[in-house]
Amino acid sequence: MSAKYVSKINRRDSLKWLGSMTSVVVIGGVVVACDAPETPMPDVKEGSHWPDLTFEPITGPKYGQDPDLLNPTTPWPKTLTQEQLNLVAHLSDIICPEDEGGPSATAVGVPDVIDEWISAPYADQQNDRVLILNGLQWLDDEASRRFGNTFMNISEAEQFQIIDDIAYEAQMEVAEFEHAAIFFDKLRTLVLGGYFTSPQGMRDIGYMGNVPIIGDYPGPTDEAKTHLEQVIANLP
Amino acid sequence: MATYDGFEYDVVIVGSGAGGGMSAHILTEAGIRVLMLEAGRDYDPVEETPMFNENHEAPLRGVSTSDKDFGYYDATVDGGWTVPGEPYTTGEGTEFLWWRARMLGGRTNHFGRYVPRFNDRDFKPFSHDGLGVDWPLDYEEVQPWYDKCEKLVGVSGNNPGIYDVPDSGEGVLQPHAQPRVYELLVEAACQKLGLPIVPMRRAVLTRAIDTREACFNATHCGRGCSIGAAFQTTTSVIPWAKDTGNLKVVTDAMVKEVHLDDNGRASGVTFVNRKTREDVRVDAGIVILAASACETARLMLNSKSERFPNGIANSSGQVGRNLMDSTGADISGHIPALRGRPRYNEDGLAGNHLYIPWWDYEGQDNGSVNFKRGYHLEIGGGFGEPEIGLGSYADGYGVAAKQMVRDYYGSNIGFALRGEMVVNDNCYCEIDPDVKDKWGIPVLKFHWKWSDEELNQVAHGLEWGEKLINAMGGYVTSPKRTPEEAILAGGQIIHEVGTTRMGDDPATSVTNKWGQTWDVDNLYIMDGGIFASNPHKNCTITILTLAMKNSTRLASQIKGEAS
Repeated sequence: MSAKYVSKINRRDSLKWLGSMTSVVVIGGVVVACDAPETPMPDVKEGSHWPDLTFEPITGPKYGQDPDLLNPTTPWPKTLTQEQLNLVAHLSDIICPEDEGGPSATAVGVPDVIDEWISAPYADQQNDRVLILNGLQWLDDEASRRFGNTFMNISEAEQFQIIDDIAYEAQMEVAEFEHAAIFFDKLRTLVLGGYFTSPQGMRDIGYMGNVPIIGDYPGPTDEAKTHLEQVIANLP
Repeated sequence: MATYDGFEYDVVIVGSGAGGGMSAHILTEAGIRVLMLEAGRDYDPVEETPMFNENHEAPLRGVSTSDKDFGYYDATVDGGWTVPGEPYTTGEGTEFLWWRARMLGGRTNHFGRYVPRFNDRDFKPFSHDGLGVDWPLDYEEVQPWYDKCEKLVGVSGNNPGIYDVPDSGEGVLQPHAQPRVYELLVEAACQKLGLPIVPMRRAVLTRAIDTREACFNATHCGRGCSIGAAFQTTTSVIPWAKDTGNLKVVTDAMVKEVHLDDNGRASGVTFVNRKTREDVRVDAGIVILAASACETARLMLNSKSERFPNGIANSSGQVGRNLMDSTGADISGHIPALRGRPRYNEDGLAGNHLYIPWWDYEGQDNGSVNFKRGYHLEIGGGFGEPEIGLGSYADGYGVAAKQMVRDYYGSNIGFALRGEMVVNDNCYCEIDPDVKDKWGIPVLKFHWKWSDEELNQVAHGLEWGEKLINAMGGYVTSPKRTPEEAILAGGQIIHEVGTTRMGDDPATSVTNKWGQTWDVDNLYIMDGGIFASNPHKNCTITILTLAMKNSTRLASQIKGEAS
């Protein structure tokens, strides 16, 4: 919200903060994350490359200030090309594969969530669109530069050589991969966030609310109380 | 008696939120006929509340956008920080946000249902520290009305015996909800640090009363409540008032002017019918303004006459002045010991079951803290419904990244400071001479500047927030900020009050202690504008209580006149 403190925090901190804010900031009793600080992209450093593609802003229909809350619909069209969607799907399952806890990202429709997200006519999502479409192009550029083909057409081992250079927080500090690492961080947030907000992901993470409990709220289970007692006993 | 659309009435009420709704209830119960004008559309929580809808059903997983500032499912209709075609402006250097809802019930449909009452000191701040002004009321006078109002609203909580949290009368409060694990951990930290922590008074029923059901421990109150468990005027006082047959509600009626007759009394109002864009003039024997502090001030400033060239009932020049909000600042942290903790349902009453009330009155008196007014800390955390931001907990990719999110879920705890600001001359609203809204009504221009009182208070709160996080073995994850950076914008806590303040002196106040304007004896104000100060305690319950008290007196006066 306030542009004045942007310079004091790095992008990673602001993302972490935003992530945690979605669970803690309460205004008027409503959980909000409306004041995400804007974090402008850094300049492209020497020895690095970034497509810097620009796009016509999306001006499509918004849902407005009085949408049907009981039967939500999304009024804007999705905009990813089939090729882009394929790449997003491939990356989604690299980020969020099937495991013992639950299915893969594509199994719960995460690429559609991302397509809806970056096609939305709101400012935050439009910023994410520029970042993600450039990031997808960067992957192809980098794959061509290193291995002479687009990302989807190089070997899995080659793909992971690239991913391993951009998938970690620390790589935002590496000039060569700074922009790509910022892209990957955003994509990961959307993929894992999209997954854990899906019905299957909500079950996976163990969210047990949103069911009516008639009578008094029962509070923590015995197991949860026992765990808390241990935590309290071990406080610093 | 005046007549509108075949309905005979004595009183016009402008606004249907906390003040207007309560006033309509009290007056109509007393047999007085009321015409209520609401700028927004009709709204029925029974039909419209998205109970149980999940984030994945909403566009963008329900995140906030410029259309729905508090997320897709927030109850607010046709409003938020902006209302299309109805701008407001700000003076140079001012950062101010004005939340408006254009709907029956106003902002009561989405508020947090945190309802702490004031204590004796809250009514006499000037006497204690020499800043601002005292109220023309004391706690003893208001206390029985708090009891009556809490009983009617339905408040869950307890009497912890803490000065900042005065006792409610016997049998007033309903049982409070049991705390959750993260609240109990904060409680343990408070015990280590010597801070109090008590059940939050909530306008959320834990026992059914009248037509309203007890909370079934699911669905956030900010969406509204179709079963009436979370208080809002649209499931309580307004339907009750309608049931008497003495209330007519006109929605889409944006009032633009209060009229004055030749005897200096209010004679009625003109509203814009938002559907036909026509001006409609209605008469009234008594006019009650309850449009919200700033909207009421705007209406009064725009109601100019020969007698009141600066706005109706504004001989003091105080209309629009003394604008106050609560201070707000947030700090959040990660608690490693909570990673991967056992799952269970933490929805409860949504929002706080426990909070940290203000504790250091002594420090304020002996000068060991460098600010004069207190704050409280609201607690955030828990196993909330997963939101897309959860994805940011991870690093890397693959099963390990997925597992990080699972581990971090429910392991962050945050504190939201809500504090009292001291009234100051730099915070006010006035009519912008150059800008009109789409109805042709001149708009408000806001001016805002925090003083050291608020900045020192925020610094103190952030310091204690960090101590609490550390005492739980955690570390702060929100960015390190100065108080100037951390304090939220004026208006952002949505506790605006003071713009038509009450007092003992007509030269420095707009109304007497009954909300009756000094200048126009049949013009009353029943919203937060009449507050003489803005204690850190969320304002809605006091707006409701004073509207109840003042409307009861008004009803007996009207009945007395009639008999």
